[in-house]
Amino acid sequence: MKWATWENVGVDRMACAWLIRKYIDQKAEFIFVPEGQTTFPKGVEPFDVPGARLSHHGGHCSFYAVVREYKLKDPLLKRIARIIDEADTVQEAHVEPAAAGLDIICSGLRLISSDDQEAIERGIIIYDALYAALAK
Amino acid sequence: MGESSQTWLLLSYKVPRAPSANRVYVWRKLKRLGATALADSVWVLPLTRQTREQFRWLASEIEEMGGETTLWESKLLDGAPDKLVSEIAAVAETVYRDILKSLRKKSPDVAALSRRYQEALALDYFGSAMAAKVRSALLAAKGEDD
Repeated sequence: MKWATWENVGVDRMACAWLIRKYIDQKAEFIFVPEGQTTFPKGVEPFDVPGARLSHHGGHCSFYAVVREYKLKDPLLKRIARIIDEADTVQEAHVEPAAAGLDIICSGLRLISSDDQEAIERGIIIYDALYAALAK
Repeated sequence: MGESSQTWLLLSYKVPRAPSANRVYVWRKLKRLGATALADSVWVLPLTRQTREQFRWLASEIEEMGGETTLWESKLLDGAPDKLVSEIAAVAETVYRDILKSLRKKSPDVAALSRRYQEALALDYFGSAMAAKVRSALLAAKGEDD
């Protein structure tokens, strides 16, 4: 299946790509469209695009929306969702120290990658690592 | 002063009257972003990748509440862009000044002050020179050099 998001991926979109690959669609193909595009051809699922189903809702990040929409039960995903909420959205409480660091690492990762595709693939390693550390 | 090169991001919005919690929610978010109200329901921030993203998300949340939003990118033609800059810069600088004051007191709570510093840093859009001072003062209070 094709999954689309805006160019210049960051902390939330890298996390969504990881989640989609690991839990929803192993053969997921990611496409990157110019910032601002909100309509997509049939059969393409947009994520982290304003107004989309898999996007920010009720003050939560898009990763949170994917976990909820696909009813993913792994409790560690809730924890990661909280980390990304704090990294990517305006929150009152800060209970996840990894959040700020993760945000800056993911934006740096995009800077050293030749394109979004490469950034997403590398981001998957970051989230594998985060998951492993939390699972310990 | 004539035309300024600073690009500003303007969010104008309407939120339905009820439930009133929604209006408070939007207001709190705007304050947490360090935005300034130009008029009722017209808020401004300097344009950065982050502010554009945050305003966009807030706009889509307001629309989910049944509200209406318009997001603008704009430049001031005349008037006093410096006034707007200092108003927005003051948000972080007020916190910085407060931290420096607290650090001069007897046995300050350095951990709590460090957290406030980080929060202020996130909305220090014009890179205040005070940030470095606060950082050094926090480290000095812990007996560390920067």
